[in-house]
Formats: sequence, structure tokens, C-alpha cells
Amino acid sequence: MWHITKREIYDNLNSLRFALTTVLLLALMVTNAVRHIREHPKRVQTYRDAVTESSARLTAHADGSLYKLAQYGPGNFYKKPSSLHFCANGGESILPDTIKVGDPPVFATDSENRVILQGVWSLSYPDANLQNKNVGPKVSQVDWAFIIGSILSLIALWFTFDAFSGERERGTLRLMLANSIPRHTVLIGKFFGALISISIPFALAALVNLLLISTASTVHLTTEAWGRLGIIFALALLYTSLFVALGLLVSARVQQSAVSLMILLLMWVTLVVFMPSTLASIASSFSPATSFDEFWKQRNPIEEDLWDKYDEWLWSSKVDDKTLRGKSAFFTENAEREERRHEERLRYRSSQVYRARAITSISPATLLQHLIEGFAGTGFERHLQFVENTQRYARQLREFVADTDRADPESPHILGVREGMSKKFITPESVPRFEDTLNLSRDFNTAAMELLLLTLFVLVLLSGAYLAFVRVEV
Amino acid sequence: MLKTLIRRELLDNLMTSRFAAVLLITLLLVVANTVVLIQDYEQRLESYNGAIRTHYQELRAAKTYSTMAILVDRAPNPLSIFNVGLDKRLGNLVGIYHGFMPTLWNAQMHGTDNPFIAFFSLIDIVFIFEVVLSLMGLIFAYDAIAGERERGTLRLVLAQPIGRGQILLAKYISAMACLLVPLILSLLFALLLLMRSIPLSTADFLRIAGIVFASFAYLSLFYLIGLLISVATRRTGTALMLAMFVWGFLILVYPNLIRATVNPGGDIQARTKIVEDQIQQILDEYERERQKFLEKEGIAGETSEFSKALGLHSYAFVDPVTLMSYVENISLISEIHPEFEQYAPSAKRYYNFVEPLSARTVEKTWHIRKQALDEIYVRQAETDRVLLKFSPVGVYDAATQAWAGTDLEGVRDFFSTARRYRKAVIDYLYAKEAFSSREWFIADKGAVDWSTLPQFTFERSTVGTNAKRALPDMFLLLICNLALFMLIVLIFMKSEV
Repeated sequence: MWHITKREIYDNLNSLRFALTTVLLLALMVTNAVRHIREHPKRVQTYRDAVTESSARLTAHADGSLYKLAQYGPGNFYKKPSSLHFCANGGESILPDTIKVGDPPVFATDSENRVILQGVWSLSYPDANLQNKNVGPKVSQVDWAFIIGSILSLIALWFTFDAFSGERERGTLRLMLANSIPRHTVLIGKFFGALISISIPFALAALVNLLLISTASTVHLTTEAWGRLGIIFALALLYTSLFVALGLLVSARVQQSAVSLMILLLMWVTLVVFMPSTLASIASSFSPATSFDEFWKQRNPIEEDLWDKYDEWLWSSKVDDKTLRGKSAFFTENAEREERRHEERLRYRSSQVYRARAITSISPATLLQHLIEGFAGTGFERHLQFVENTQRYARQLREFVADTDRADPESPHILGVREGMSKKFITPESVPRFEDTLNLSRDFNTAAMELLLLTLFVLVLLSGAYLAFVRVEV
Repeated sequence: MLKTLIRRELLDNLMTSRFAAVLLITLLLVVANTVVLIQDYEQRLESYNGAIRTHYQELRAAKTYSTMAILVDRAPNPLSIFNVGLDKRLGNLVGIYHGFMPTLWNAQMHGTDNPFIAFFSLIDIVFIFEVVLSLMGLIFAYDAIAGERERGTLRLVLAQPIGRGQILLAKYISAMACLLVPLILSLLFALLLLMRSIPLSTADFLRIAGIVFASFAYLSLFYLIGLLISVATRRTGTALMLAMFVWGFLILVYPNLIRATVNPGGDIQARTKIVEDQIQQILDEYERERQKFLEKEGIAGETSEFSKALGLHSYAFVDPVTLMSYVENISLISEIHPEFEQYAPSAKRYYNFVEPLSARTVEKTWHIRKQALDEIYVRQAETDRVLLKFSPVGVYDAATQAWAGTDLEGVRDFFSTARRYRKAVIDYLYAKEAFSSREWFIADKGAVDWSTLPQFTFERSTVGTNAKRALPDMFLLLICNLALFMLIVLIFMKSEV
């Protein structure tokens, strides 16, 4: 078997297609690296500036009374740009990179515009960015996901379409099978031969890409990032072997290599180019989205109901326990409802995206796209992770406020109202800070399903190729 | 002789499995996507109609001139099913106000879609053709000459008294005749589905004819590229491999690569800042004149009795990103207290002076803005488009967009119509002497009657304009075709059999 593999590799290395492939992949990977080196520092800078500003706001809110912190909360939250952005762009231009902490809502003012009733902060999730200022032509980003998903799969077919049909045409297949080699050994030899011949130019191009990126002084890759890159490389191999198996399958069944290539091309166009978008648009048309107007309309009855419930406390200027508790309950409930409404909207939208994703998972190209996005820390999954991170922090900060208040025996422990909270001074250093993190094991868990599906595809196609080749007459 | 050749080639092509496969795939893809695209179009149309209704009501709700809110909407283009272009991406809702010049950069979306779904880009019919037709052309061409050479039949044909050019012509004609079958058939199916739910005008059919013609030229271009490879190579295997490489490069790699390598030009922020300052100067000038007038009338000061009496909110600002300049003087009161009634004549004089001034001011800023916006946003996109045209895909895309009217020019037509409408509204206000009327700032003696306000209508540009915009790209496609054919003839003449 090793012999056959070696022969295949030598055969391929000397061919025109190998040279063309190497040039093509190198060109793509170098472009990708140059672009990343040019753009990543800008992204990081923007993020740092935003975080500094947001942190300054938290410091300002936390410097002084506990009430101010409870009322204004932290500054806005920003999504940390992934250092593996070059692996998968993940529609970052569409996804919002901020989660806003709204200013405490003003419920009432007096005749001289002084605030007399003000609630507490809540989280709100901005909608996706519209592309309505971009008049340029529509193009996809040259990232690893594109290079692997579209180009490498095409190359895999390019290397395998004549694996059997070509040898049959030249008559060398008979010769080989006349030897005492079992057919499955021939198949596996061919499989590994093609896979290794494709991996060589890809690995070369990827290495050049990573060399460029890691030597650039402006971009830093951590150990974890290297681990993730390793996983992405393994994914690329798995995905390529899927198309190698497909190529072998068709090549074994078809008599002429030209016909085999044609069939493979049409299959590729369907699987990689058309299936993802067509299926997604079909899926998204199943459930209509709620418009912004409807979103506002939902809000009004909720608010009125709340006003009625707490009416008797809200307008009294007394500072007794009951009134304060009434106000406090009103503020917290209002913030909670506001947050829940935003969350529901986000959940509704993401469930739509998930449905579309589930349907498009029939196409291996989409599976790969999702997997690479998952491990590169970009895309929709990552966005939801960011949302979760901020929610966890929001809880943490609220608990911190409650705990600090509880530690003060003089405080009446009524949160959200000035008179009901601890009067002790707090320092900004004692307040927990937000940090946006990525979790590799979590990424693995979410990716497990898709990973299994992709492996399943490979196995099915490989066994299909085996059956086809075993039964074929030479 | 030519006829015999053509017939032979035609039969040869029609009876192959590749013809059946190509036909099936094209039909399947076009029909499936057309259904989805029509659904999408209907959804957008519904949201457009809803927006029109809301905006009509909003206009009626305004009781005074100074609080008027005229919002105009852009209807979805039915031909966006063929090439969506910028139709879905750019804003389709813009305000009309005398203190503001509507441009593409200030437009908003009235869509009700889930914007996250934009992850999965919708494909249009032209995109399917871009990928499938090119593949078809190459698949039919790669063995046209190389195959005959391998089988030895080329010698046989050449032994006949027939010119080499004629052989090529026969091959070209018959292959194109075959390739047209899936193209026309799938388009017919698409049209059939379209006509069931979307009314199309004669002009639309002419535009579709233009798209079909462009598709034909594109298909032929790829057939000729395949033929060139076939003539230049000895073996079909090599020809096929080269054809596939060329296809991958032209369709997949080049269009995406070019955008990544071109550096977004210049320091946009610095450029914007300069223009912002210029506009700010004009706005300051406006503010000075306004204050001068107020002082002359003896009613100056933000907290003056006059401002309070009218509930006057006056601002003039420029947006640092889109350079939008906006000048507004609204009066937010429902009644005038009797003690303030003395200010009513001043208010009439004030508005009569300040509103024409603000209209003039934003018109002055408009010239500076237009140039800057073109330089900042449009020029980069234009460069990208030109670079994209080195691949046939770019030319074909541009030509079909121009035919469909979903290109930048087509969308801009809407905004120039909106600007003309703004002018018409201002003329109407002058004619009604609205600026110096009491209804401008207060509705206590009767609200404004909006029924005579000129209506906004937007007609897509005529077929002639579409054709004129598509012409350069159509020419480019045809010239490439001719040049390639000549090159092929030359190579074939000189080649040994």
C-alpha cells in the first residue's frame, strides 16, 4: 500500500496541476496574510480605545456612592477581536461588536427639567449592521474558510477525477490489479496519495501565511491560538478527504476521465456554491421576522401595566420604607423587563439563524465554514458567546452591588433608590471588571455535532468509493 | 459542407450525457431559486406598501408646516430577481425637507427582515448563470479540437475541401445552439413563474432581453476560452485540466482576490474632516445671519420670550461621518398664550426670512458634500468595479446590473428624483406663501391642508437609459468575443494536425 501511495505522490508532484495548485494557494495565502497584517492592528486599536473609554465610565460611576454604580452600571461592552480573524471572517461586518448599557431611564421630570424619577441601567443588544453605505461590488473575503472550503475542495477533485478512470484509459489499472494486491489496498493507497499530494502545497502555503503573520510585530498569536490553528488545519484535511473520497467514488464508477471530471464539477457547484445560499433563503422565508415598529408596540402595554401596579408609591416624596421598596421594585422590574424583551428579540432572531444553519448543514462547505468560524472565534456562535459573557458580568456586577450593600449594617438594603442604599464610599478598584474571553472546550462542545456530521460524510463517501471500486470491472 | 458539419456537431453535442447533465442542473437551480427570489421580492413589496401607508398617515398628522415629515420610499425593483445588485443593500427610505438634501448616504431601510439572515447571501439568476454558463461553455469546448485530434478525426475532416476557419465556425455555431437550449429554457421557466405573480411591463421585457443578450455573449466568451485551450493543447486531459484551472481562477479566485489586494485609498478621516470644517463654516455663516436678523427684530437669545413663545427648536449641524448637513427650525407648541400673541407677526417675518435661507444653505453645502462623498465612497467602489472587469464575470455582472437598473446609477436615479421632489415641495411652499403664514408655526387657526401637496412618483429610468449604461460593457463582451475568435482561427491555421 505504501508503495502505491508513494507512486501516486511522485506522479502528482511532477504534474502541471501540482505546480498550478501551489502557485494558486501561495497567492491566496499571501494575500490573506498581507490583508490581516494591514487590518488587524486597526481592529485591535479600535477595540482598545473603546474598552478604555468604557472602563473610564465604570470608574466614574464607581467613584463615590454605591447608588451611582447601581443606577448607571458599567460602560458599554465591546467584543474582543479574534487574533485568528484571518481564518474566518465570519460576517463580522454584519454582526454588531457592542452591547449597550443604556442610560438609566428618566420616568418623570419637574417643570424645570430636573429629574425626579429615574430608574436603573439595563442591557440592550443592537441589531445587525446594515450595509447601506457600501456601494462596492459584492465579493467574499479571502480567508482560510474560503480557501479551504472553495478552492481546496476544487483542487481535491482536480487531483482525483482521473484516479481510476485515467488508469483505466491508459490500461495501467489492469496491470496493477494483476499483481497480488487487494483492491482496498489500491483504494487506500490512492486515497492517501491524493490527500498527501494536496496537503503538501496547502501546508506550504499555510506555513508561509503563518510565517508572515507571526513575524509581523503588530500581531501576536498566543499558544492557544496555535492550538486552534492546529485544529483548523486538521479540519482542512478532514474536509479535503471528503472531496478526495467523492472524486475516487465517481472516478471508479465512470469509464472516461473527462466525464468523471464533468460530473464532479457539477456536484461541486451544487454542494459548495448553490446549496448553502439557496437552502438558507428557503429556510429564512419560513418564519417572518418582527419589525422594529412591532417591537416598540409590544413595549407599550407592558409599561402601562407596570405603571398601574406601582402607581401609589411612585409619586409620593415620602422616604418611608414602603414607598422606597415600591420604587425600588418598580425600577428593578422595569430594567428586568426591558432586558428580557431585548433578549427575546435576540433569541427569536438567532433561532431563525440556527434553523437556517441546521438546514444548510447538508452542504459540507457550510459545515466547514461553521467549524472554522467556531474555532477561529468569529461568526455568529462567537457573538452569542460574547452576549453570554456580558450577561454573566451584568449578574456579577449586580451581585457585587447587593453584597456591598448587605455588608453595611446601616443601610436599609433597598436597591436602586438613593435613600435606600449604603452611604459608604466605594473605590473603582474594588469593582469587578468585564473581560471578554473565549473558551476552547466550549467551542469543542458546540462544534462536536458538526464535526461528527462531517466525519460521517467522509466515512460514507469512502465506503461508497470502496464498494464502487470493488465491484467495478476492469 | 458547412451545413453538414454543423449538423454533425449538433447531433454530437445533443446526444451526450454532459448536455443532459447541464440542462438538468441549470433548470433545477434556476427554478428553485426563482421561487425563493419571487417570495423575497413579494415580502419586500409588502414592506414597501406598508411603509408608504405609514408615511402617508404621518404626513397627515403634521398640523403645521414646520413640523412636516415627508418621507419617500423606493419600491423594490422586480428585475432584482435577475441581478439584485445594490437594490437590497442600499437604503430605500429618505426624508424630504427644505433644510436637508437627500442622498444615498442618509437613506434608511424600511425592511422588516432579520438582518442576521444577511449572513446567508441570497443568490440571483445572473449569479447562477455566472457560475453555470461559464462551466457549460468550457465543458463543451475543451475537447472540440483536442478530442478530434486525439481520435484522429481531425485529419479526416481537414482532408475535405473545407477551410479551417469554417470548421471552427461550424463548431462554434453548433455548440452555441446547444448551449442556448438550457439558457433559454431555464429563463422561460423563470419568466413563467415571474409572470404569475409579478406584473411586468413591455420595457421590463426589453430589459430582460438585454440581460439574455449579455448572458449569451458571456456564454460565448467562455466557450471561446475553452476552444482556445482546446486548439492550443494536444491532449484532452491537459485541455480539461487547464480549462478547469482557468475557470476556477476567473470565477472564484480573481474577483475575491482583487478586492483583498487593493488598498482602500488615502486617509478618509482627514479628508472627511476638511469637508466637515468647510460645511461647518457655511452653517456658521447661516447662524450668524439668523442671529443678525433676530437682533434686528429685537427678539434675540435662546431663552428669549420669543423662543419660548414659539417653542422654537433651532439647530444646524453636520454629521462627521456622512457629512449630512441639516438645518431645522421647528415650533413645538399647540397654542399661543394670549400674552405672547404680540410675537406672531415677528414669527411670520422670522420664518419668512430663515426658511428660504436654510434651503439655500443646505444647497450650498450640497455641492461640497457631493464631491467629497463621491471621492470617499464612490471612487473606491468604481476602482474595484474596473479591476473586476478583467474577469468576464465582472463585465457580465456590470452589464446585467445596468440592464436591470440595480446598479449604482439606477439607485441614484431615485435620489436625484427625491432631490427634484424636494425642489418641487419648496416651490409649492413658496406658491402657497407658506413661509410667512401662521400655519407655519401654529395650528390654532386651522391645520395645514396637505391634499394639494405634489405627490412623489419615481419611475425607473427608460430602457434607452438602461441600454446606454449597459453599452460599454456589452461592447467589451462582444469585442472580447471577436478578438478571441480571431486568435483561435490564427492559432488553428498555424497548428499542425
